[in-house]
Amino acid sequence: MATIKLTNVTKEFGSNLSKVTALKDVNFIAESGQLILIVGPSGSGKSTFLTIIGNLQKPSSGTVEINNTDIQTLSKKQSDALRLNQIGFILQSYNLVPYLNVYEQFTLANKVKKTGNLSHTELNALLTQLNIENIQHKYPSELSGGQNQRVAIARALYTNPTIILADEPTASLDSVNVSEVGQLFHSISQNKHKTVIVVTHDLRLKKYADKVYNITDGILTLEKNV
Amino acid sequence: MFLAFKEIKHEKLRYALITAMILMISYLIFILTSLALGLANENTSGIYSWNFKHIILNADANTSLSQSLLTANQISAQKITNKEALIGQASVVVKKAASSNVDANFVGIKSNQFIYKDLQLSLGHLPKNDQQIVVDSSFRNSGYHLNDWVTLNSNTKKYQIVGFVKNAQYNMSPIIYGRLTAWSSLKNVSPTFKASAIISRKNYYTAKTKKTASYSTNSLIQKLPGYSAQNTTFSLMIAFLLIISLIIVTVFLYIITIQKIPNYAVLRAQGIPASILVKSTISQAISLVGAGLTLGIFFTWITTVFIPKSAPMSFNIPLLSLVALSLIVTSILGTLLPIKAILHVDPITIIGG
Repeated sequence: MATIKLTNVTKEFGSNLSKVTALKDVNFIAESGQLILIVGPSGSGKSTFLTIIGNLQKPSSGTVEINNTDIQTLSKKQSDALRLNQIGFILQSYNLVPYLNVYEQFTLANKVKKTGNLSHTELNALLTQLNIENIQHKYPSELSGGQNQRVAIARALYTNPTIILADEPTASLDSVNVSEVGQLFHSISQNKHKTVIVVTHDLRLKKYADKVYNITDGILTLEKNV
Repeated sequence: MFLAFKEIKHEKLRYALITAMILMISYLIFILTSLALGLANENTSGIYSWNFKHIILNADANTSLSQSLLTANQISAQKITNKEALIGQASVVVKKAASSNVDANFVGIKSNQFIYKDLQLSLGHLPKNDQQIVVDSSFRNSGYHLNDWVTLNSNTKKYQIVGFVKNAQYNMSPIIYGRLTAWSSLKNVSPTFKASAIISRKNYYTAKTKKTASYSTNSLIQKLPGYSAQNTTFSLMIAFLLIISLIIVTVFLYIITIQKIPNYAVLRAQGIPASILVKSTISQAISLVGAGLTLGIFFTWITTVFIPKSAPMSFNIPLLSLVALSLIVTSILGTLLPIKAILHVDPITIIGG
C-alpha cells in the first residue's frame, strides 16, 4: 500500500519573469518498509519535495496523499496532528530544544503526544542502538554534532511515526556514524515497516536505500530500484 | 509550563536580569503608591474620620474650610440634628518649651455632636473643658506627651494635651481637637462668627441662606490646596512606570522569542501546536512578573520596617494588590507581540524549500 503518493505535483514560486519552478510534474510513490533516497544538488528542489510531503507548504498543482488522505484538504490543526502522529522530521540543524536535556526532549514529545510513543524499554534500546544511552542528562550544547544528530533521530522515532522525513541527516556525521545511521534507517524501514525518505548530498547512504531518486531542476527521476 | 520553566531554569542569568528589572519597577511602583496614599492621607484622614456627606461653607470661601466663616444667623438657619456637627477650623502653631514648634489645624467641636463622640483615641481621654485638647498621634514623634501643657500661636492661654487620636490630619498638618468655644479666640474673629462649617451625614442637606453653600465631601477634598495636582502627578508617575514595565516585558520577551524562532520552527514542523508555544510564553511572562512582584513586595516590606515614622507612607493591601494585578495584566499584554511572532513562525524558513 502506498504510504505517500504524489500525483503530477508542481510547485512554482514568484510570478511572470521571476517565476521559479521548484518541482515539475512530480509523480512519486513510497510504500511502508522502504528507505528512499532523494539525491540532488543545492537548489534542485529536494527540500521543497520534503516540505510538500510534510504538508508544510502546498503544491501549486497536483495532489499529495498520505495514507490515502489528500493532505491539502487538512486544516492547520489537522496538519499539526498529521505531523505529530504520522511524520517524524529530522533536520540538518535546530532539531533539539537547547534548554532541554536529552531526556527532556522526549518528555516534551510525551507531553504533547500522550499515547502511541515508544515505551521506556523501546526508547532505551533505541538510545543504545544509537550509542547515546549515557548522555541523557546532557544539553544539546554539551554534545558533539554527531551526538546531536543521533538524538534528533531518536526524537523523531520516539513518537512512532509511520513516515520519517530526513533532511541531510548525516551532514555533521563522520563515516562511522554515517554508516550507523544508514543501517539504522534501513533497519527501521525493514523491521518496523516505516517509510523513510532521506533528502541528501551524501552518496554514502545509497547502499542502504531501496530506491534512489535524482532530482535536478525540479524533475524527479528514478536512479536505483532494488 | 514545562517549556517555560525548563528555559528559565536553564537560562538563569538571563531571566534573573529580567526579574531584577521587574523587581525594581514593581518596588518603585509600590513605594510611589504608598507615598501617594500616605500624602493623600495627610490631606484627608481627618475629613474621612468625620464620615460626613455634605458640608455647609460660606459661599465666598471657594470651597475652603480654612476660609469659611459662618455667622450665628447662618447656623441657626440650618436644621442641626444629631446628624450634623459644627466645626471651627483655625491654623495654629503649637509650642512647648524644649520641643519643636508644630504647624497644626485646630478643630473646634461641640461635645454633644458626633465628631466629639466618634473620636478614636489611642491614648488619654476626650477634652472635658476649654483648656483640654486631644491631638494627632504624630505629635508624639515631635516630643509631645500626654498631660503636656502647650500654647497655640501667640496666645498666653495654655492647653493641656489629654489624649492622642489616630488618623487626624488635614491639609498636610496634624489636627488638634478642642472645644468650639476656644476656636473664635484662636481664629481671632468677631463674636458674630460661631463656626467655620456645618457637616452633615444626611444624603440630602442644602444651604438655607444665600451666603452659604452645600458641598459634597469629595468637592471639599478636591479643593484642598495642592491635593489634585499631587495626586495627578503620582498617578501619572505610576501609569508611566506601568507603561515602562509593559515595554520592558514586551521587548525582552520579543527578543528572546525571536532568538528561539528556529527552534520553534522545528517544533512546529514536528507538529507541536502553536498553542503550546503561546502558553509557554504567557506562563513565562507571568512567572517572571510573579517572581519580580514577590521580591518587590518583600523589599517594600523591608522598607516599611526601616523607613522613619515621619515619612508619609501608607501601605494599603487592597490598593497594592490592585497594583500587583495591574502589573500581571501588563505582563500578559507584553506577550502579545511575541505571541504574534510565534503564530507567524514558518518552518519553511528553517528547512528551506
